[in-house]
Amino acid sequence: MLDFEEELKNFQPSMEIGNVEDAIGREDLTDMTDLMMELLNNK
Amino acid sequence: MDTGMRNRQISNAYYNVGLEKAKERDLTGAVQVLKKSLRFHKYQTDARNLLGLVYHEMGEVGAALAQWIISLNLQEENNLAEGYLKALQNASGYLDMADQAAKKYNQSLHYARNDNEDLAVLLLMRMVEEMPNYVKAQQLLALLYMHHEDYTKAGRCLFQAMKVDRFSPLTQRYMTVAKAHTGKAEVEKRKLKNAFSHRQMQDDDIILPPSYKENTGLQSVLNILAGLVMGVVVVFFLVTPTIRDSIISKYKEEIRQGLELVNQKSLQIDELNRKLEEASEAQQEAESSLEAMVNDSGSVISQYQRLAQILQAYRSEDMRTAVQFYVETDFSVLADGVLDEIASWVQQDMAVNGYPVLEQMGDEAAARGNTDQAVNYYQKSLQINGGNIGVIYKIGMAYKNAGNVDQANEFFGEIIMNHSDSEYAAQAKEARGF
Repeated sequence: MLDFEEELKNFQPSMEIGNVEDAIGREDLTDMTDLMMELLNNK
Repeated sequence: MDTGMRNRQISNAYYNVGLEKAKERDLTGAVQVLKKSLRFHKYQTDARNLLGLVYHEMGEVGAALAQWIISLNLQEENNLAEGYLKALQNASGYLDMADQAAKKYNQSLHYARNDNEDLAVLLLMRMVEEMPNYVKAQQLLALLYMHHEDYTKAGRCLFQAMKVDRFSPLTQRYMTVAKAHTGKAEVEKRKLKNAFSHRQMQDDDIILPPSYKENTGLQSVLNILAGLVMGVVVVFFLVTPTIRDSIISKYKEEIRQGLELVNQKSLQIDELNRKLEEASEAQQEAESSLEAMVNDSGSVISQYQRLAQILQAYRSEDMRTAVQFYVETDFSVLADGVLDEIASWVQQDMAVNGYPVLEQMGDEAAARGNTDQAVNYYQKSLQINGGNIGVIYKIGMAYKNAGNVDQANEFFGEIIMNHSDSEYAAQAKEARGF
């Protein structure tokens, strides 16, 4: 009924406290307004 | 509608939905919706802080910290995230414990993926005792138990997970599998089976006496027929209405619950519509105000522009330009605490040095024979220093020299009537002729 190997793929590693800084740096904070501004500037 | 405002409205709507889901403990759903809210407007601080809270509740302390730190960077003032971060830092040993939990979970996942399931179970078992609300860990442990066919223990883990995140699809799916394999289902099956099987005689069973004889032959047939008829009658008059009433009652209850749910959703929709309408009205009002601010010549922005021009003139040591801009500036509009000091300095300097410059400019214009310009400069000088009687006299003379006697006499009269003790009173009388 459950494919163990397939189910394991659903699980992602958790963020350790020491990795928070890197994670913040990698966080994509682009929102719709940023995207629209980018489109307008490219026009 | 301004697109930025629309994005904020959409973001707010997603935030409201996320908040409702969080209240109902649909934390997985709340995370998805709050992320969408931030996709539309990253400065939706409430959504980001709530996302952090949800992560924290699910045992993802690192993810929670990241969101709160980002929140504080995007909005430094009046931000609840500051309080959350302080609370975590002040709780002695909590961050260490959370960090260890994340490390153990990651290590367990690594073990599980590399055929070391026993080690993974051992690590997770200890970890969930310290952090029972760590949903992912409970789910992984449940999966490992189910892989070892220990569905009862898996069910316990999933139950813990559901207490935190009630509607997680993964938890519900695993729970279905665990329930199908637990002893409880077997007991239920057994009960059903026993209802139709022969059983051993019990103490309270009745033994029919030997003298009892059943009827045979025609009587038996008649008895059977009578029994059938009686049975049909009983079903028709007693059982069917009961069943019908039970069905009706059940469906009535379902309909009532359905209507209640529709009503609740309808109320929620009405509330969201009302909020959208309010936001739309606020947005229109803000747009109107902004338009007025930008376009109106007497508006705040125009006054700030003039102040900038005055300062530019000062920098160029062009007092004449500075003073002309000065008299056109409404300093009352600039008194909002932003540039008070600068505005005050300008006003003080003009009160001393500004009006003589304008008076001189008026003299020069009068000498050129340009009465209108001369009077204009003199009037501006009076705006700064209204007590300069000499300028009033000069205005009168300018008009007189231009042949405008009536206007001239008005100003001479002003001096004679209201400043009779000034040195210009006698001159004014002479100039007026009476």
